Amino acid sequence: MARLFRFVEKKRGGRRTGSNLVGNFGEALFFGSLFLVGMLALSVLLASHLLAPDPASFTIGFGKWLFLLLMASFVLLGGGGMIWTVLRIGVSAERRSALATRAVDLDLMQEAVPRPRNYPAIPPFDGLVNSPGIDLAYRLPPAQTPGWQLLAMTIFGLLWTGVVCFFTVWTISNALAGRPEWLLTALLVPFWAVCYWAIREFLQLLVVNSGTGSTTVEISDLPLAPGHEYQVAIAQHGQLTMKSLELWLVCEEEATFTQGTDIRSEVREVWRQLCFERRDFRIEAGVPFQEQCAIAVPPTAMHSFYSPHNAVRWKLVARGEADGWPAFERGFPLVVYPGEATQQVEVAGHVARAALTPPHVPLPAAGVRA
Amino acid sequence: MIEPLLSLCLAGPNRNFAAGDELVCEYQIDAVEPADIQAVELSVLWYTEGKGEEDMGVHFFERRLPADAEDGDLRPMRRLRSKLPNSPLSYRGAIVSVFWCVRLRLFLRRGREFVVEEPFTLGSVPAVLPAIAEPS
Repeated sequence: MARLFRFVEKKRGGRRTGSNLVGNFGEALFFGSLFLVGMLALSVLLASHLLAPDPASFTIGFGKWLFLLLMASFVLLGGGGMIWTVLRIGVSAERRSALATRAVDLDLMQEAVPRPRNYPAIPPFDGLVNSPGIDLAYRLPPAQTPGWQLLAMTIFGLLWTGVVCFFTVWTISNALAGRPEWLLTALLVPFWAVCYWAIREFLQLLVVNSGTGSTTVEISDLPLAPGHEYQVAIAQHGQLTMKSLELWLVCEEEATFTQGTDIRSEVREVWRQLCFERRDFRIEAGVPFQEQCAIAVPPTAMHSFYSPHNAVRWKLVARGEADGWPAFERGFPLVVYPGEATQQVEVAGHVARAALTPPHVPLPAAGVRA
Repeated sequence: MIEPLLSLCLAGPNRNFAAGDELVCEYQIDAVEPADIQAVELSVLWYTEGKGEEDMGVHFFERRLPADAEDGDLRPMRRLRSKLPNSPLSYRGAIVSVFWCVRLRLFLRRGREFVVEEPFTLGSVPAVLPAIAEPS
């Protein structure tokens, strides 16, 4: 009986916890109603216009044009949704997934860089091996291109500042005209706070990206296999007096979920190991600091994993702090394939116990991620 | 109306498999008239659980219609074999977990569906962190 009252059920990806039949019926009813309302309203609108033409009511603005567009969108959404629902009736999530897998397999046959077969759900590493290194085999691309981050912050800062300035001028002019807008004035305070934050972030990013110089990381081989050792070369450019430069091997999980109408991502770091550390040294202009070290993914570690809403990612993180500059952190993605130990049925007792105590060292947050 | 009886089992006592192992499973359907069965789907698949939306990937899929069976009867026991892939390995992480299972889905006339699952593990990645509790 309680089942009848479960109107709101936990959405589990493409699957429902309730009856598929009821779900499909509900969707069909919703989209069908939307389509019907749209069609009826459009018919009435067009018929009335044909019977008694009134061009004035179709002028641009809050007239019949707006209503016409709204109803046309009802028809399109309702019709499209109805077709989508009908196509999915009687087709299980597994069948759809199997068809999608087949399509991906066809794509893999035409890939530029061949990669090991029969390793589904592991991200491709084509983008990581297309840039040869100077000292080692591959130069790793940065996880986030600083230029894009800077551009995004610039656009946001400009738009936000523009809007706040417009409302500030409006408020002042109204106040001068003897019509003070107290509510708007109060609302402008948090708006200006966001504006201050945006400008500060923009300036910090600008300073870090233009002043601290680039960090490059090269690696001896890809993809990585757990339990094997690889050489990594790190180079830091710029004229800097460094307080510290560290290189970490990091594993993190990422989950994407819908919360209301928002799509959110949560990243949780599950493993971190310091590979290289140097303190208090100076980098001269034109002579980058260079150092090599060895890294090894633990033999029992989880491999890189990627699906539309979930991921396990491995990366190298360079973290630096220089005199007179904000701290920076730069990530370089890696791809780890399943290890020999974890592909077997059982892991030896001492290896499993070692994996239960990962060398995870919490760090103070860096000032700026660049 | 009596619900149909779906039996699904993995051959042998083993529920832990290594990458590349052969998985053998059997299924049988009972307590339903052959004419009421529209289709039967058997899948070997992985799915995610945790904080994110659930994803799934089908490794093996077979859909049978009455026309595919002898005398149009999909109820008798059927044995299937599938070589397991090298990834993704079963994993119980902090906010992302990966599980494997064999899933049998029965489609009856008038849109009714019944599903049974048999979980198993692929590989042996240790659970380094406890799984996140499902929100109630």
